[in-house]
Amino acid sequence: MIPDSVTIRNAAMEAATQLVGRPIKEGQRLVTSGLIDSLSVLKLIGLLEKKLRVIIPPETLQPEDFDDVNLIVETVERVAKSMP
Amino acid sequence: MTFNSVPYLLFLVFAVAAFWLLPAQFRRAFVLLASLGFYASWGFLLVWLPLLVAGIVYLIGLQITSDNTHQIKWMWLGTGCLLGLLIFFKYRGFLFGNLQSLGISADRHPLSLATWVAFPMGISFYTFEAIAYLIDLRQGRVKMPGFWDLCLFFFFWPNILSGPLVRARELMPQLNFRKPFEPRFCFEGMDRLIWGLVQKNVVANLLGVWVDRGFAPSAGGIPSTLDGWFLAIAFGLQIYFDFAGYTNMAIGAARLLGVTLPENFRQPYHAATPPDFWARWHMTLSRWVRDYLFFPLNAKYAGAPLPLYFSLLAVMALVGLWHGAGWGYILWGSLHGAYLVLYRVYESWRPARSLGAASRWLSGAWRILTLVAVIVAWVPFRAPTLQKASEILSSMFWHLRAGTAYGAAFYVFTLAVIPFCVFEPLLLQKLGEIEEQAGADGPPAFRVLVRPIAYSFGLLLFLLFDEHNVQFIYSQF
Repeated sequence: MIPDSVTIRNAAMEAATQLVGRPIKEGQRLVTSGLIDSLSVLKLIGLLEKKLRVIIPPETLQPEDFDDVNLIVETVERVAKSMP
Repeated sequence: MTFNSVPYLLFLVFAVAAFWLLPAQFRRAFVLLASLGFYASWGFLLVWLPLLVAGIVYLIGLQITSDNTHQIKWMWLGTGCLLGLLIFFKYRGFLFGNLQSLGISADRHPLSLATWVAFPMGISFYTFEAIAYLIDLRQGRVKMPGFWDLCLFFFFWPNILSGPLVRARELMPQLNFRKPFEPRFCFEGMDRLIWGLVQKNVVANLLGVWVDRGFAPSAGGIPSTLDGWFLAIAFGLQIYFDFAGYTNMAIGAARLLGVTLPENFRQPYHAATPPDFWARWHMTLSRWVRDYLFFPLNAKYAGAPLPLYFSLLAVMALVGLWHGAGWGYILWGSLHGAYLVLYRVYESWRPARSLGAASRWLSGAWRILTLVAVIVAWVPFRAPTLQKASEILSSMFWHLRAGTAYGAAFYVFTLAVIPFCVFEPLLLQKLGEIEEQAGADGPPAFRVLVRPIAYSFGLLLFLLFDEHNVQFIYSQF
């Protein structure tokens, strides 16, 4: 089952906060601002997969797909819908 | 036509004036023709190569968008063709030279017939843009364009020679040229253009005279320790001002047409750590490597240490090879790979809790170590042979010897450029502030004159130091 947007948003906020080590703001840029690097994005994907029980295949994605919480929600929804 | 030449500046003035005078519907065709003319100025026969690249991307792109079941195969086929062209034109000599030295290949390699073909300028840049385009198309990030749209994207003259490496999705929408003229395009473009001219012709070229002498194969034996360090620092400064100067001129030329290109530098020698250096140096290449090489390679292993370290070393060696067909470039890339691995190892051992004052000392130490490591790595990058690189490196670390081989001007100029390197990014900001302040407090005439005075001074410096007419270092990559 595809998680709803609010659940994904909450999970994204939690995961990003955990990686950055301090609370992040709603539209705060994570990758382009240098707050997290591409390796942290892979960790972020791992955290999101655990929290949301979805599979996110990173080979078809780019780090900037996770640049802020809104983009994370969009990306997870898109990926979850395309999964068989 | 190099960017730092009078013919190019004349071309730019006429091209930009004609661009804005033309009705909007003719601007795309005009920019494509002007770009073809600009590229043809490097060799008329070379124009077919970017056309071929656009053709490959177009034909493979049609297959990717129409054949959903074999998208990945088509993408790999296209990438293979593009890499094949790059290898043939850039690396065939290096490849066969090494095979010959191993006794594997015959004296005269089978591709020697093609040695009359001159090096196609910008091939590394537009090939990487083309590969990125195919991957983005396969991932659904861009739409399938027309053939001439692709030609305009690859040929766009401000960035065809040495970048910035742009993504199709950030440049192609801007190449509709639907924006009406705004005076700020002129100010922003001229600021960057003239600043780039000064960076290249005044700072980089002057340093280049001494650097060329010090790194020349004929420069006898091991230099003194002071000279070894000064040569490495001077080349570090030269390549920064050379490439940043080129990039400023590219961004400035695009801005004059109302187009925004991505930035390539963010005070790289202020980097706090090795990964931070790559977030500040040649940022568009770092972004390409991250998105299309490093991220997919590590995706399977989710950042597990051993695959991560191996991929860092391999990817950075490839980054070195991308710069040029020579072992010095590979060594430079591999050194940076080793720095990144060392930093990752340190990060994994670093205690999670803050160490207070010790943390500040550690971050200060990393900042200095990063700067020294970057300077050391420039030696094999610049040296014409590994033998020469080892001579200079040994003078810096093992064969410590006093003495100087240059006039005082070299040491004084190099030392003077260091604070300039620190503060120069603030100068353009300062120009804006002076202008704003003059507008608020001073006479309006002063506000109007600030930029023309600054531009005239910059152009005067460019003309005064134009005697060398030296090409940009990155144009050979």
